[in-house]
Amino acid sequence: MGGAAPAPEESCLLPTGAVSTTASHTITIGLTEPVDPRHAPIATNDAERIVFRHLYETPIRFDCDGHAVPELADKWTKDDDGRRWTFQLRDDAQFWDGAPVTAQDVVFGKGGLGYTLGALETHVVTVMLAKPKDEVPSVLGDPGLAVTKPAPDSSWPIGTGPYWVTNATTTTQQEIRAHSTRGDTLVFKLVSGGDARDLLDGGVDLLVTRDRALRDYAATLPNHTVTALPWDRTYIYVTAEAGSTRFDGGSLEQSVRAEARRPEGGFWWLDLRGSGCGVGQSMSPPPQSGQHRILYVRSDPTARELAGRLAALTHAVATGRDADDFSSALAAGKDWGYVVALPRVTSDPCRVAKASLPAWAATFTALLDTRATAIARRGVARWTVDQDGTVHLAP
Amino acid sequence: MTFRTRLLISFGVVVLVPLLVFGLGIRSEMSRRVAGEDTRRVTALVNVISADIARENDRIAARLAALRRSLVDDIDFRNVVVRGADRTNFLDYAGNAMRVAGLDFLQIQDDEGRVLSSGHFRNEYDRLGPAVSGTTLVRAAAAEGPFLALVTSDSLTVGGRRFRVVGGTAVDSQFLARLARDPELGVGLRLPSDSATADSGKLVVGQLTLPYIDAVDGPGRVEQAHIVVTRSSALLAALQHNVNLWFGAAVLVAALAALLLAGWLSTRISTPVEAGFREMERRVAIGDLARQVNHDVKNGLAPLRNVFRHLTQVARETPDELPQVFKERQGTVESSINYLETLAANYAKLSPQSERKATDVNAVVRETIQGSPSVRTKLAEGLRPVSADALVLRRIIENLVSNALDSLDGKNGAVTIATEQAKHVVRVAVSDTGRGMTKAELDRAFDDFYTTKPGGTGLGLSIVRRLVLDSNGSLKVETKPGEGSTFIIEIPAQ
Repeated sequence: MGGAAPAPEESCLLPTGAVSTTASHTITIGLTEPVDPRHAPIATNDAERIVFRHLYETPIRFDCDGHAVPELADKWTKDDDGRRWTFQLRDDAQFWDGAPVTAQDVVFGKGGLGYTLGALETHVVTVMLAKPKDEVPSVLGDPGLAVTKPAPDSSWPIGTGPYWVTNATTTTQQEIRAHSTRGDTLVFKLVSGGDARDLLDGGVDLLVTRDRALRDYAATLPNHTVTALPWDRTYIYVTAEAGSTRFDGGSLEQSVRAEARRPEGGFWWLDLRGSGCGVGQSMSPPPQSGQHRILYVRSDPTARELAGRLAALTHAVATGRDADDFSSALAAGKDWGYVVALPRVTSDPCRVAKASLPAWAATFTALLDTRATAIARRGVARWTVDQDGTVHLAP
Repeated sequence: MTFRTRLLISFGVVVLVPLLVFGLGIRSEMSRRVAGEDTRRVTALVNVISADIARENDRIAARLAALRRSLVDDIDFRNVVVRGADRTNFLDYAGNAMRVAGLDFLQIQDDEGRVLSSGHFRNEYDRLGPAVSGTTLVRAAAAEGPFLALVTSDSLTVGGRRFRVVGGTAVDSQFLARLARDPELGVGLRLPSDSATADSGKLVVGQLTLPYIDAVDGPGRVEQAHIVVTRSSALLAALQHNVNLWFGAAVLVAALAALLLAGWLSTRISTPVEAGFREMERRVAIGDLARQVNHDVKNGLAPLRNVFRHLTQVARETPDELPQVFKERQGTVESSINYLETLAANYAKLSPQSERKATDVNAVVRETIQGSPSVRTKLAEGLRPVSADALVLRRIIENLVSNALDSLDGKNGAVTIATEQAKHVVRVAVSDTGRGMTKAELDRAFDDFYTTKPGGTGLGLSIVRRLVLDSNGSLKVETKPGEGSTFIIEIPAQ
């Protein structure tokens, strides 16, 4: 099977009305969470997802309907009954510094469970799958396969995306500016502890939030559209207390200020045991110590509220941790429970599981599904949504 | 023990005892007043704390009253409780209201005490909250852990249902620090779960009782907690130590001053008194001597008078027998005369004619014993000369050495003369290893005519004592029966 890049489905475009096209213009995106270039190209929050999506490219991406869309690769073919896939890189694919992107740049140091990457020619990448697939392998859209190389004079790795960062070199800046070869400018404004409504009133063209109150406020603004994005996140409760966790309150969605629903099935993380991903491999969790604590990532308000509700129900204590500390604590497993946010869909379950789930034998309980809301200014730009809920400028 | 020493001790006791009693009295009174003042301070602080808590309670109550009025008018609240509307938005009501009211604890409870909205712990809805009535200390749950709050409550009715608003402020270290107005007194909390010896470094000196509810794991029940006023035991110990130190120093200084004063007074008084004593002793001795002389002379004269009367009678009545009778009575006359002569010679020894001048004691000792093999000497070098008659000194030493040799009773023994320079006197000690004296013998040893030796006159030691006194010296005896005696003479040095 061969294929040229299909145009994005209209269903994946945000309803922003008619957009006037000009030679070049500036788009401003508001961010309510911090952005750390050291995480690039794998985002750890919604803000980083938007920023990284415009700076770095994967071989292909999947739109909100699950259709493969060209990125670095503009053609692909299936061989060997779907066991071998060959991707042709775009002829004009190049890094920000002008260096052409080769197949070696794509495959170097990459690979994972169930697939092997190879550089067949300068612009041809092969993917060998352990199990044959009829559809394009989704792993080619995983941010882990985004092509980057270190930048000697910047904390931002050099990418291949249509925009490159021109002003930000530290993690403390309040504004990130990026430019494209067409002369367009993207300005990312961070709210940094202030009132996100100020960003809206300050004229940002796009803001993605999970805050109901902010969504409700945006609904009152005449020049903005408010669009619910796909349910993209599932919060789960991870504990070593097998069988002892019962949250039958049935109204956990009331406990958070984000738009939430009861979790819907198809949980990719339920099938990981025995898959070789290293999840739940250890026979017994480490012994717990001290007070009954439920840990959460401090910067995630939904996780904090969920942990607080669970603490209220179980007379435990909810304790916030920085993201890195939380990961270490989860790996150690010495606390009573953990509220973990997982993507509802992922291109590379093993990679996400290794980063987000413990190796010790744990009980996973789905708590909530949440989704974000995109607030876009009318008539400024065309925004499209990927399968994982990432919003970005439409090509 | 000398008269001066006794006087010194007496003065010391007379001055020190009242001083000590006075000092102890002052200390006791001071302690009583300090304790009284401390009690007043603690009582004042407890009253201030009580007033502060009452004021805080009024402040909270005023805010709750405002919240109650606002809640009655709130449409979302009415929709939730009357029409059963989605309570999602109302869950944030208490949090917003709590911040606006400046409170740290806020719950809106239904008539069963179930939390509808919680400001300090948004997600504790549906739990049973504490049943608070009046000012109460509540240990409340929060997502990050329990905390203490001083809370009170108000109530309202909406749609025929009764609700309770429970609010308060956090009782943390800053709250307690605000209560502690006295820098020397600390304020702490003692909860029912606390052990009595939680902080051994603090002494509880006062306390205020408050109703207490531990609502961390449920609605809890009403117990009692105490706001305690504490004082550092180290501070108290330091205060006590300082008081004792200064008291001891004051007593010591006063005692030293008193002893110096007593020493000065005893010297001023004892010097003339001792001189008077010596003069009195001298007069007494002279009187005793005069009576003794009178008696002895009469004893000597009585035979002579009898013989004379007899001879007179014979001469008047039988003159022819006078020679015969005279011959017969001649022995009596001669015996009496001899007796009187002996008596006169002995008395002559009691009234020496002394001539005081600088005298080398060691030279007198050497001259006195003249190398006698029976007497050993331990003469100190560098003795200062004494102001005494050398002859008198020699008679003293002769008598003492003679007595010492006699006390040996012909047995082997030693007589030793030792000299020593003391501060203001030269000390001469004549020791023997003879029979020594009993207490009774010692008491009479210096009496005139008392002797334990056959043929002794009984005047030796009496003479020695008088001669020593005449030389402004002193004499003391250390003796033990069967082991010997030591006569110690102290003659003032020049």
